[in-house]
Amino acid sequence: MLKSHLFSMVLYAVLVCIVLALIRRNEPKAQLKYGISLFIIMVVGGIIFGWLMYLFMS
Amino acid sequence: MISIQKKMKTKPVAYLTIFLGWLIPGLGHIFQKKYWRGIIFFTCISLMAILGIIMRGKIYSFQTENPLTILAFLSDLGNGLFFILSKKFAFGIGNLKNVTFEIGTAYLAGAGLLNYLVALDAFDIASGRKK
Repeated sequence: MLKSHLFSMVLYAVLVCIVLALIRRNEPKAQLKYGISLFIIMVVGGIIFGWLMYLFMS
Repeated sequence: MISIQKKMKTKPVAYLTIFLGWLIPGLGHIFQKKYWRGIIFFTCISLMAILGIIMRGKIYSFQTENPLTILAFLSDLGNGLFFILSKKFAFGIGNLKNVTFEIGTAYLAGAGLLNYLVALDAFDIASGRKK
């Protein structure tokens, strides 16, 4: 399972988002909102960069 | 109206807190009785570091041959006790042939950088800059 790059990236994003949400926001609702938006940005951004590298650098 | 800015004095305990936070992830928060926050930080950052080792990532030592590895060393240094133990018991050597080497190394560096942020957060709480 850990050999999957996508799974590793998603797991990395989950762990980073939890820590950053707790550091950057104080209220539980704001933490959840911040964490989810950060997670989406990280995962979607990673996939977009992956495709760009595949299309233009291969 | 003349405003007088009082210079904020950092409490000595704040320096102990940042050291504890660096040594073991979340310990700086637990020291300040923020138990849940500390436990979550410890779980997430330790899990990242352990996964980095399982994926055969590398914990870099200080070396000047390749300047970029100095940055990697500074990131890994953030792992605190984990970094010290890795040098003592020779784990985190890394295996370039392993397909997960790069990701494992990123996990280890990420854990170290996050631990710096967590330790600084504990310092801010201890010095009264943050609740």
